[in-house]
Amino acid sequence: MDNYFYTGQVRRFLTQFIRMISNFQIRLGRDRDGISTLLRIPVYYGDSSRQVAAILAKNSENSLPAVPAMSTHITALRYDRARVQNPTHVSKMQIRERAYDPDSGSYSDLQGDLLTIERLMPVPYTITIALDIWTTNTDQKLQLIEQIGAIFNPSLEIQSTDAYVDWTSLSVITLTDINFSSRTVPVGPEDPIDVATLTFELPIWLSAPAKVKRQGVIHKIIASVYDPDGLDPKDDSFDITGSILATRQIYTPTNLNLVYLGNTLKLYVNDSEIEFNDGSVPAMREGDWHLAVRSFGELSGANQDLLQNGISQIRLYNDGIVVVGTVAYHPIDPTLLIFNVDLDTLPTNTMPPINAVIDPANLKPNPLITTPTLGTRFLILNPIGSDANTDSDPATIDGARIWNRLGQPQLIAVANDIIEWDGFKWTVAFDSQDIINIQSIQYVTNLNTGIQYKWKNQVWSKSVEGRYGVGAWSFVPT
Amino acid sequence: MARLSLWKEGKHTNDYRFFDRRISEFMSISGTGVLLHKYLGPMPQTQGQPDQPANTNTSELNIQDLLFLENRDRKYEPDVYRLRGVYQVTDNSFDLSQFGLFLQTGTLFITFHINDMVGQLGRKIMNGDVLELEHLLDYHTLDPDLPAALKRFFVATDCTRASEGYGPSWWPHLWRVKISPLVDSQEYKDIINKIAISDDDNRPIRDIISSYNSYIQVNDAIIEQAEQDVPASGYDLTPIYHRSGDTDTPDFAVNSYMGSSVGAPNGANVVQGISFPQNPEIGDYCLRVDYLPNRLFRYNGTRWMAIEDKVRTNLTNAAEDNRTLRNTFINNDRVFTDVRGREQPEKQNLNDILKPRAD
Repeated sequence: MDNYFYTGQVRRFLTQFIRMISNFQIRLGRDRDGISTLLRIPVYYGDSSRQVAAILAKNSENSLPAVPAMSTHITALRYDRARVQNPTHVSKMQIRERAYDPDSGSYSDLQGDLLTIERLMPVPYTITIALDIWTTNTDQKLQLIEQIGAIFNPSLEIQSTDAYVDWTSLSVITLTDINFSSRTVPVGPEDPIDVATLTFELPIWLSAPAKVKRQGVIHKIIASVYDPDGLDPKDDSFDITGSILATRQIYTPTNLNLVYLGNTLKLYVNDSEIEFNDGSVPAMREGDWHLAVRSFGELSGANQDLLQNGISQIRLYNDGIVVVGTVAYHPIDPTLLIFNVDLDTLPTNTMPPINAVIDPANLKPNPLITTPTLGTRFLILNPIGSDANTDSDPATIDGARIWNRLGQPQLIAVANDIIEWDGFKWTVAFDSQDIINIQSIQYVTNLNTGIQYKWKNQVWSKSVEGRYGVGAWSFVPT
Repeated sequence: MARLSLWKEGKHTNDYRFFDRRISEFMSISGTGVLLHKYLGPMPQTQGQPDQPANTNTSELNIQDLLFLENRDRKYEPDVYRLRGVYQVTDNSFDLSQFGLFLQTGTLFITFHINDMVGQLGRKIMNGDVLELEHLLDYHTLDPDLPAALKRFFVATDCTRASEGYGPSWWPHLWRVKISPLVDSQEYKDIINKIAISDDDNRPIRDIISSYNSYIQVNDAIIEQAEQDVPASGYDLTPIYHRSGDTDTPDFAVNSYMGSSVGAPNGANVVQGISFPQNPEIGDYCLRVDYLPNRLFRYNGTRWMAIEDKVRTNLTNAAEDNRTLRNTFINNDRVFTDVRGREQPEKQNLNDILKPRAD
């Protein structure tokens, strides 16, 4: 462990001070062409090494030093006892970062790291800075002093960084004294250059490094631990794996949702913490899988991406069933992952497959319907038959001829029922209105399309496709 | 028999002339070549004032600034006078005794034959004349890419009769000139800005002999680093993720002293303009650039709400995007039209504002 840190805190203030007094100009008189020009005055650090000074002079006596010029140097750095505050105070900040894409060099609209930043009370110091103004005549000196002096009234803000979390970056620099001339009486002819010295005071803070931690604030609780009826959590049923008293807390810092459709997983971002009572969530926007994966961390080495194409897995949690598949980045669309589902992890059918999903109200004649074989099954989207169709004539067929046979009971089914041909007549094989069925979860495969459907909450839907909200899916890197 | 005397009642005798020729010959034989840039007087200035006369004639007798008693913009003879001078070569050193400027301490005393000097120049060498010692040409600077050897310039800072230059007839024959190393300053720009580097390179010699460009590059590098450290005043909230309650486009800004994001919070799309867009949707952002500072608005379904002001600004002096209060007064190129329809600059010195102007 290195017992070391250095962040150039004084250096950065000095850099900003030179920036502050840079780009001043003086106006020269008219030359032989009648042109009056402005001359920019260079500013640099005065306490240079002799070697660098010689290099800048091209190691030649014949090189001419340029005047006017301004140089600055630190004349004092002292501990400022008057500004001492509690030395053991630690300030904590909770920060949400935007995700950063190093490839594009820009921030995305996704949430990145959540950080807790602990800052130790910095130590107060005061820097005294001298600014030497080198001139060869009085007019130059007054031009510069008038311009520089007009901006310090008496102080000017100065920042060493624009980092939001750096509480020591902002300070003020105050002009405290001016020594107008370096010349003394008697004035000899030795040096045509005169130096005016402006003295500045700059209070600063020297900071130790901060502690940066993963944020420990709980942002969202999906379900409460305790039963609302107040049952004793010490009861044997307090079992994290299946108890009604205890459920899992899911911490979802990234609020990423995905939609499983076909063989792709599309990423959506929900910035809201709100989840409505009906389970719905506010409108979301598409997200970038690269950035989302990066929020899980990075590997060291050449390939730093946690997602290994064809190896990494996404697991979908669906009514107690875990659907597993390997994933790979989509070659074009960054919002998509190609999902190669492991068929063994799909839910098992709870009833025989159906031959098709049909709409009885909009049906074309089909041999499967007109001459069905034993066990032909359809999931219907609209009702068939009605008690009003029953008449007393046994020689006629009640209801629609296509669904009924002479001498057989009329087929009466409602939407979402599954009907089946038993060799003699169509019957309701799955009654969607049955009280037991209403509460059950059923899986059935459509032989016509190969799609498996799930019956839940009185709705048929694709069994594993659809939206997986926060906490309903997970990413397994390898 | 008359008493012997080399002093003849103030007359230049043959004895004087004999000694003067011998001394001139000595200077010619043993002296080193000196190229002299003759000072002609301050540059004529078009707008004269009582204490700073225009000096439309060129004369060494003119004074540019009668208050400070200094000649800043000096005019030099384009032609160079070739003289012979003698001096004692000494060892010089560079001085960093006061931080900031790498100066040479060496001051030389060089003597010239008075009559030869006056015969060529028309006057004696005076303060401000610039001398180039030909034998100090530097062929071996640190920069091998320099297109020419560096010349050695001095400026006369004190001129008197040399004590060793008095002849037996008590008449002076030598002019002692105290010379100091030249600096690249306003006073000598008529020389170093007018001499070409070489016959093949018409750039002024200042480009290679002065350290000005090197120090400007140093200054620019420091400014660039400072702009990287603090691109703009205040705090950059761009890396901060704005957590919003129920919308993709937050309706608030992170509370910070002079802080703002680049664009809209979380990098959301923002429309810039001098008016609000038609048919906005809830959550749309608009940056009104006709506000100073620019103001970010968000449409909440019924009206545009102010979210934040873009108060951050470049702090580098004279930068185009420096919008500090001071800069609006200093770097102000704006004009206004007065009651007579004439355009007047907004930026005017306080002491000049109410002075009469020509129609």
